[in-house]
Amino acid sequence: MAESPFPLAAHSRSISPDTRHLLWSIAPGAIWIVIFLVLPSLYLIGVAFMTNGAYGQPQMPLTLDAFRQLAGFGFLGWSPGNLYTLLRSLWQTVVATGLVILIAYPLAYYISTCREKWRAIMLLAVVVPSWTNQVIRAFGWMNLLSPGTPMAETAQFLGLIPPNMGLYPSNFAVTLGLIYNFLPFMVLPLYAAFEKLDLSLVEAARDLYASPVSAFRHAVFPQTLAGLLAGTVLVSIPAFGMYVVPELLGGGRAMMLGNLVANQFAGGSNWPLGAAGALIMLLATLGGLYAMRKVGKRLGGGEEVVI
Amino acid sequence: MNESSSAIVSPESTTAIGGQARDASAITLTNLHKRFGHDAIALEGVDLDIHAGEFFTLLGPSGCGKTTLLRILAGLEAPDQGSLTIGGHPVTDTPPHLRSVNTVFQSYALFPHLSVRDNLAFGLRMKGMAAAARRQRVDDIAEFIKLGALLERRIDQLSGGQRQRVALARALVCEPDVLLLDEPLSALDAGLRSQLQVELQRTQKRLGMTFVFVTHDQEEAMVMSDRIAVLDGGVIQQVGPPADVYERPVNAFVARFMGHVNLFEIYAADGNQAHTALGWLTLPRSLAPEERKGVLLIRQEVIELDADATENANALTATVRERLYRGSRIEYRLDVGGVTLMATASNLGQRLHSVGDQVKVSIFADDIVRLDA
Amino acid sequence: MRTSRFRRGLALFWWLIVAFLYLPLAVIVFYSFNAANSAAYFAGFSLRWYQRLAHNDQLLGALSNSLILGIASSLIALIVGTLIGYGLYRHRARRLGWLIVLIYLPIVMPDIVFGISEMTFFVTLERHFGVLGPSLLTMIIAHVTFQLPFVALIVYSRFVGLDPTLFEAAKDLYASPWQRARHFLLPTLKPSLIAAFFLSFTLSVDDFVISFFTAGPENATLPIYIWGAIRRGVSPEINAIATLMIATVMLAAILSLLFNRRDRPGRDS
Repeated sequence: MAESPFPLAAHSRSISPDTRHLLWSIAPGAIWIVIFLVLPSLYLIGVAFMTNGAYGQPQMPLTLDAFRQLAGFGFLGWSPGNLYTLLRSLWQTVVATGLVILIAYPLAYYISTCREKWRAIMLLAVVVPSWTNQVIRAFGWMNLLSPGTPMAETAQFLGLIPPNMGLYPSNFAVTLGLIYNFLPFMVLPLYAAFEKLDLSLVEAARDLYASPVSAFRHAVFPQTLAGLLAGTVLVSIPAFGMYVVPELLGGGRAMMLGNLVANQFAGGSNWPLGAAGALIMLLATLGGLYAMRKVGKRLGGGEEVVI
Repeated sequence: MNESSSAIVSPESTTAIGGQARDASAITLTNLHKRFGHDAIALEGVDLDIHAGEFFTLLGPSGCGKTTLLRILAGLEAPDQGSLTIGGHPVTDTPPHLRSVNTVFQSYALFPHLSVRDNLAFGLRMKGMAAAARRQRVDDIAEFIKLGALLERRIDQLSGGQRQRVALARALVCEPDVLLLDEPLSALDAGLRSQLQVELQRTQKRLGMTFVFVTHDQEEAMVMSDRIAVLDGGVIQQVGPPADVYERPVNAFVARFMGHVNLFEIYAADGNQAHTALGWLTLPRSLAPEERKGVLLIRQEVIELDADATENANALTATVRERLYRGSRIEYRLDVGGVTLMATASNLGQRLHSVGDQVKVSIFADDIVRLDA
Repeated sequence: MRTSRFRRGLALFWWLIVAFLYLPLAVIVFYSFNAANSAAYFAGFSLRWYQRLAHNDQLLGALSNSLILGIASSLIALIVGTLIGYGLYRHRARRLGWLIVLIYLPIVMPDIVFGISEMTFFVTLERHFGVLGPSLLTMIIAHVTFQLPFVALIVYSRFVGLDPTLFEAAKDLYASPWQRARHFLLPTLKPSLIAAFFLSFTLSVDDFVISFFTAGPENATLPIYIWGAIRRGVSPEINAIATLMIATVMLAAILSLLFNRRDRPGRDS
C-alpha cells in the first residue's frame, strides 16, 4: 500500500472498520451503564464523605462523620445499635448461606440422579417460587407465621414463644425468609456441577478407597466445589444487602444493614450515613467476589465461578 | 469501490447447471503475503496460476497456509500484500458477498434455522433472484446432486454425508466462477469419503467449473486433482500434476509429504556414483554433474526383489525385518547394513519372504530421483 | 438395601422442600378465597376480594404502571443489550475485560445500593439542573440498567453456541451486511430475543427495591402498591392480587416448559 502523503489524515483514519464496529455495538450499552450506574455509585461514595445538612441533604465540607456515626458515635455519645446491625447482617448472612448449602447440596444431588425427563421439571419447581415477587413471598411467610396460625401455635405449645405471639417479627423469621429467597441460587450451580460429575471418577474412587465417605471426599466433593463457590457468591452477596425480608419479617430488633441504609434515605434523615453504609456493602460485595475469584482460580475453576 | 463490477454475480445467468461445460475462470495470485499478529506467518510470497476449469488442490500439513490461501480467495481474509484476479478481474479488495466465488466449508456451515430447500436457495435469494426462478434452480440442483427427497428436511435431520451434499449443492447452485472446498470430506468415514471423492471429481468434470480444493491427505489430492500445489511454511514448494509431484518431488519435504520414506543424503559423489548410507549407488544417467548432491529418493515400488542385477542397476543384499500384508501388495521393511529400506511388491501370487530372509535387492539407476535437501 | 433407603430418604427430603417452597404461596392463594377477613381461620369460599380488585383504581393504576414500565424498559434493554451481546461476540478475540466487569456490575451490585445510588443521583440532578426528577422515566432508566446485562449475556451465549463459519457462509453466499442481519442474524437470534424480552419483563415486574427508590409519588407499581398495603395493615385484597400474580408466574413456567419441549433440537446422526 502507498504511504499516505498526509500523515495526520492517515492517523485520523487509523480507527479500523473493526474498531468502529466494536464502538457502535458496545458504546450505547457501555455509556448507559457508566452514566446511570457507575456515575451514581461514585456520587454515592462521595456523599459518604460529606457533611449531613439540615434536611438530611449532603453538604460540604468533606468529613468522616458518617463513618463515625456508623460506628455508633452520635450526639448522645456511643451506642452499639449500628454495630449490632452490622454484626447481625454478617451473622444472618453466614447462617442463611450455611443452611442453604446444607439444604441445597442433597437436593441438587437428588435432582441430578433422577430420570432425565423429570430433571427439568424438578429444577423448574425449585425456581418458580423465586419468580414471584419477593414482597409477595415475604407476605406469604407473614401469613404463615402470624399469631393464631398452626405454626405459631405449635411453637407456643412447645414453649418456644410466649402465648398469643406469632413467629414473626423475629430473627428466626428473617433467617427463614433469607433461606427461602436464596435456595434456588444455590441449587442451580450445584445441580450443574453434579450433572457434569464424572461418574467414572467416583467408581474409580470406590475402587481405590472403598469407603463411601472418602469416595465422597476425594472424588465427588472436589468436583462440586466450583458450583458450591458460585452458589455461595450468588447467595451471600444479595443476602448481606437484603432489605425486604428483614423489613417485613424482622421488625426493629432484627434490622439488617440494608434497612439501616434505606432508613437514612426513606426518612430523608441522613444521606451521608446511608451512603457510608452502602459503601460498606459495596466493599463487602467486591471483597466477596474477589475472594471467590482467588479461591476459584486456585481450584482451577476461576471463570466459571464468577459467571 | 473498485471496478470489479463484473465480479458481481449476474442473477440472470441462465446456464443450466448440469449442462455442458461453461466458461470457467482462471485465478492469478501474485506475491501474496499474510501474517497473523507479529510473528505467525501464514503466507510468504505466494505466486500461483490456477487454470480455468481445472481441479486444483492445495495440499500441505496443518498450519502450512493452505486454508489462509483459500480464505483469501473467498474474500474472508485480506492479504497484507499482493494481488488476486479471478477471471481476469482484480478482486483483491472485493468483499466476499460481491465475489462470484462460493465455498464448501469444512463444518458445512448449513443454516440451522432453515430447511434444506431454504439453505440451497439462500445465495440466489441474496442475489435477488425471483422466487419462481429460484425454485426451479433449487429443484434442478437437487436433482443433479440427488437431494430431491431431502428438500423439506431440517438440517439436524440429515446424516453427515447428506449434509456434505447439501453444502456442495448450496455452493454449486449459485453457479460461481470458482468453487472453493475446504477439507469438505474430512469429517466423513473412509468408505463414504472415497465414494464422494469420485463423485466430486465427476461433478467438476461435468460442470467444467474451476475447483480449488484444500486437503492434508495426499492420496485424496492425487485421486481428485488435475494439479496439486504443495505448501509448507506459507511457501509453495511444488506445483504440478499428481504424477509429477509424486514421482518427481522437488525436495525432501514434498517427498516425505507424498508418502515417500526412502530418502538418502548424498555424502559424496564420484563420477556417476554417489556415496550414501546404503553405500555407493549408481546415479541416473540424466543427472548433470553439478546436480550430484542433495538427497536421493528411492520409491518403494521401484525396488525389485529377487531380481538379478542388470546393467545400470544397483544390487544390494538385505534382510527382511518386517512384512506387512496389504492384500493387493506386500510391504517389506528391509535392513541393508543397518539402514532401513522400505520396499513394496505387487501381490502377483509370488512366494512371500519371511522375516529373517536374506533377499537380493535391485534398484534401476534411472528410477532413482535426486532432490534438494 | 442401604442405597434404596438412602434414596427414599432423599425423596422424602425433596418433597419436604417442595412443601417449604410452595406453602407460603399456597397460603396466599387459599386465603384469597376466604369469606372472612382473616389469615387464621377459613370462613368459607368467596370471590369478594377479587370483585373488589376490579374497582380499586389505585391498584389498576399500579398495574398499568407496572406494564408500561416493564414493556418500555424491556424493549430498550433488548435493543441496547443485543448490540452489546453481538459486539462482545464479534470482538471476543480482543481484551474486553473492562467491559465484562462493567456488564457484571449491575448484576452483582446489591439491590439496595443500586436503588439508592440511582435515587440520590436523580434527586441531585433534579435539584441542580431540573431534569430527571423521580418519575416513570427514571424508573425506566433504572430498570434498563439492570436488564441490559441479562440481555447481553443471553445474546452472547447464543452466538457462542453457533458454528462461527455460519457468519462466513452468509458472506460467501452473497449476503450484504444488511441482508446478513435480516436473513441470518435475526432469524438465528429470534428465540433468544424472545427469551431475553420475557426475562427482562419478568425482572422488571418482579423488582421492588429499585423501583421503590426511583419512583415518584405517582408511579407506584404493583409491588410498591402491595408493599404499601402490607405496611398499612394487611388487606385481604392483597391475597387476591398476589394470587393473580402467582398464577401469572405459574402460567409462564408451564409455557416455558412446553416451549422448551417443542424447541428441543432433533438427535444428531
